[in-house]
Amino acid sequence: MTKIGLEIHCQLTNLESKLFCSCKANYREFEPNVNICPICMGLPGSLPRLNQKAVEKATMIAMALNCSTPEKIMFFRKNYFYPDLPKNFQITQLNIYGDTSVGGRGTLMVGDKEIRITRIQLEEDPGRLIYEGSSEKNQITLVDYNRAGTPLVEIVTEPDFENPKEVREFLNILSDLLENLGVSDPSLEGAMRADANVSIEGGNKVEIKNIGSFHDLEKAVHFEITRQQSLHSRDIPIIQETRHWDDKRKITISSRSKEEDLDYRYFLEGDIPSIRIADNIKEKLKSEMPESISSKKQRYVSKYNIPPQVADVLSSDKFYSDLFEDAHTVENAKEVANIITTDLMGLVDTREKRESSKLKSSHLKDIANSIQSGKIARNSAKNALYEIIKTGKSLSSVISEMDLGNVSDESELSKIIESVISEENQAVEQAKSNPQTINYLVGKVMQRTKGKADPKLTLDLLKKKIP
Amino acid sequence: MVSHEEIQHVAKLMKIELDDPTIYERVDKMISYFDILDSAGVESEEMSFTEIPLSELREDKYIPFNEKLIEKLNYYKGTYVRAPKMI
Amino acid sequence: MNLKISALEFTRQVKSGNLSAEDFIAKTMERIQNIDGNLHAFLSLNDKAVDQARDIDKKIKSGEKVGECFGMPISIKDNICIKDTKTTCASKMLENFIAPYDATVITKLKQQDAIFVGKVNLDEFAMGLSTEFSAYGPSKNPWNTDYVPGGSSGGSAVSVSAFECVTSLGSDTGGSVRNPASFCSTVGYKPTYGLISRYGLISYANSIEQIGPLTRTVEDAAFMLNLITGLDPNDNTTVNNRDEDYLKDINSGIEGKKIGIIKEMIGEGIDPSVLSATKNAISKLEGLGATCEEISLDMVKYSVAAYYTITATEAGSNLARYDNLRYGYDFSVEGFEFNSYIKKARKKLGPEVTRRMILGGFVPSAGHAGKYFLKALKVKNKLTREINDVFKKFDLLISPTVPVLPFKIGEKINDPVALFLIDINTVTANLTGKPAISIPYAISNGLPIGIQLIANSMDDKLLLQAAYALEKTVVLPEVPI
Repeated sequence: MTKIGLEIHCQLTNLESKLFCSCKANYREFEPNVNICPICMGLPGSLPRLNQKAVEKATMIAMALNCSTPEKIMFFRKNYFYPDLPKNFQITQLNIYGDTSVGGRGTLMVGDKEIRITRIQLEEDPGRLIYEGSSEKNQITLVDYNRAGTPLVEIVTEPDFENPKEVREFLNILSDLLENLGVSDPSLEGAMRADANVSIEGGNKVEIKNIGSFHDLEKAVHFEITRQQSLHSRDIPIIQETRHWDDKRKITISSRSKEEDLDYRYFLEGDIPSIRIADNIKEKLKSEMPESISSKKQRYVSKYNIPPQVADVLSSDKFYSDLFEDAHTVENAKEVANIITTDLMGLVDTREKRESSKLKSSHLKDIANSIQSGKIARNSAKNALYEIIKTGKSLSSVISEMDLGNVSDESELSKIIESVISEENQAVEQAKSNPQTINYLVGKVMQRTKGKADPKLTLDLLKKKIP
Repeated sequence: MVSHEEIQHVAKLMKIELDDPTIYERVDKMISYFDILDSAGVESEEMSFTEIPLSELREDKYIPFNEKLIEKLNYYKGTYVRAPKMI
Repeated sequence: MNLKISALEFTRQVKSGNLSAEDFIAKTMERIQNIDGNLHAFLSLNDKAVDQARDIDKKIKSGEKVGECFGMPISIKDNICIKDTKTTCASKMLENFIAPYDATVITKLKQQDAIFVGKVNLDEFAMGLSTEFSAYGPSKNPWNTDYVPGGSSGGSAVSVSAFECVTSLGSDTGGSVRNPASFCSTVGYKPTYGLISRYGLISYANSIEQIGPLTRTVEDAAFMLNLITGLDPNDNTTVNNRDEDYLKDINSGIEGKKIGIIKEMIGEGIDPSVLSATKNAISKLEGLGATCEEISLDMVKYSVAAYYTITATEAGSNLARYDNLRYGYDFSVEGFEFNSYIKKARKKLGPEVTRRMILGGFVPSAGHAGKYFLKALKVKNKLTREINDVFKKFDLLISPTVPVLPFKIGEKINDPVALFLIDINTVTANLTGKPAISIPYAISNGLPIGIQLIANSMDDKLLLQAAYALEKTVVLPEVPI
């Protein structure tokens, strides 16, 4: 049986400052080596200053993944030389003296399958390396330390996955969960990364590192399974090793025996005492946690009678569910859900589109209410939505500017209906014996009015005129 | 007795060049002295640690360093820090 | 002008207008010029010191508020960062390192109008107890310049003892303040772990080291502590002392106090003159109304091995950052592969530091941690339990600061284990986080002997009161320089 385990690194992108200093957590907006200070540059004499909120957010992640949370957490040094590590050690967490990382054992459901979480740890992200130079001789490594010290949460799973599809599903659910928690924006470049370990029946465990995106992770795992199966079928032993994902060639490559040379000499970080997280603090954090995706979904279905598939889409995307929560009332909930999942989705399907969108929840509320009161037809509503996203104008001004309002003036509509009745003799006759045919006539009225006729009024008038 | 190979291995890890021939003997002497720890009889000792409450930690606030640090680090000049090639 | 006055005397006189800070600083700088070529306490001097003193005199004359130091000349061990000033750790690795920020103790002293006359010598990265391991050459003991001044804060002790400044800040990882204080006949004080911020102190073994003052008198040590102690948001290991005034009631005496004599620190290998000075001090304390009784700390036997194992491990990690990529000296990375470059760059580390790096890679490594590092941590833990038990019955502990007299330069440099054992009486306070102080007590054959008192955590005030009482029982000859 194939076994796949994951190590997911998630940046706490919603924090203001880094894990151990007051430099900005969002390093993306800076020129190289500008978002740095003596602490994150590891200058002689500097000491780490742990970010309280980072511990809180990491603890929330642990709680959301049903992990145990210890009474006190500890930090350790992982010692190795690398140019992206300013101190040549990384401050991370480990369970040397009992369970002292932010999260212990937990679980996450992927469909009907339970994936076990081994542990969750809070640690610092290293800087970024750029390899430059073409020939062997002038090669050089450029380092940007803006990212160094950014708060990172590592989530380690048991090898509970059997195929790349399960991995993919898990990562989707996990990234929705982290976004919903408000701890991270997974759509930011580099905010979520993962390493995998893969073993097939009868073979040793192989770790794959350096995978740039979740998309590549799926490919890397797939490649690795195929590679191992092919070795196995030829009776070639699968050795325990670390392999790197080659992004260009889309294959995994052995990292030679580099790992054997490492000895991390883990020991307690004396500059950070153990941090006590009292039960009342945990209770407080729990009460501050946003409603979970599954609870939202359930509420949407049971309280508003929204179809499960629609509720699923709505609840798992924080952008949509935030809009929904603000826009809906008991009366218009279904309509708001409908607008979001049928009309809005295609219009804001990328990060860029969402950022530039000028749509507010109040717009959605207005649109839903206007549809329900017959002020605007669904078709017109979609056009209005498109315009509002672009301009941010109010619904009423969009309706009047684009002439999208329904024809709800009775005398105007009567004229149109009478002309339809005179042109559709046959249908009118049929309608007298077969009530279904009246819908055909409504459709004709709609055609004439380019969809703007108030459907309810149209039906009423037709019924009156065709006894 | 700590073998030369072991010392060479550690030196590699610690990125230290062993060009002083007396180092093997001196390091061995020091480590041999540490063997006294074997007779301390502390195997069953339970470790204890200092603790502080979560509330004493730093508030999450962005405060940029008040100077352009990269320009003050004298050896390096430029925007990126230059490191040797990685193999 | 008398450069030999204490810190309290200096501040009194300048405050009252009897003494000009500028004159005193100018004289001090002159003295440094005259005698430091021989003593080599200083690694660098502050060429603006006299100007700064003149500004303080002006402030005093115009009635402006002046800080409590009133322009007092202080020397700073060269492993404590002063902004825009070279901070070398007495290493070639940092020969060009200019600190871009102030250590917390420096910020506090600047606010109190102290004047830093210069940065003083130490064993490279504070690893040593004689300053012989300084990359810039050893300092000399002012009592006899053939002898070591102790270390690692040797430059601090020399500068205070030879009247090149009024007080000094050193750092104490295993006795590095108390040992040179003892060897040079000054007061040397290591406070409770956490009482003084370490922010800006370049780490050697961060879990046990503290900044501490070297002064002429116990009162001066209390005065200095008042100025530099306190919770620091930049150091998560600092503790709250609730604004204790350590100078107030320093003359309370020690009547009725129970003092334990640590048996393991007056045993094998102790110099007879050191032993007799210790016995003499004990009888003086009894004369002042204290009761003294021998006690045993079983783990002291293993404390030096534990100390060197722990410090090597932490140093191996703390000094890993010196790879010459972000700061350091001019040595191009071009044409090098990573590992070979870092190895070459780190050749600037001196021989003792290099050896400690090897130890620090060895004792906590996967194959050896169980035998060395983890055991050392357990010894530390057990020693702490033992000493805490003793403090349930005793107020203070006493021992000689160093079991031997100062030795000649070069005498022990090639015998690492002999050097280890000199630390036997001082490392306990570091491993257990307790406050300890060395008080100048006797001169034997022209060489100083210091007595050490240790108190329980946060009992620093009591410690200083006892040290003050003991200090008052002796009159010592003046340094022959």
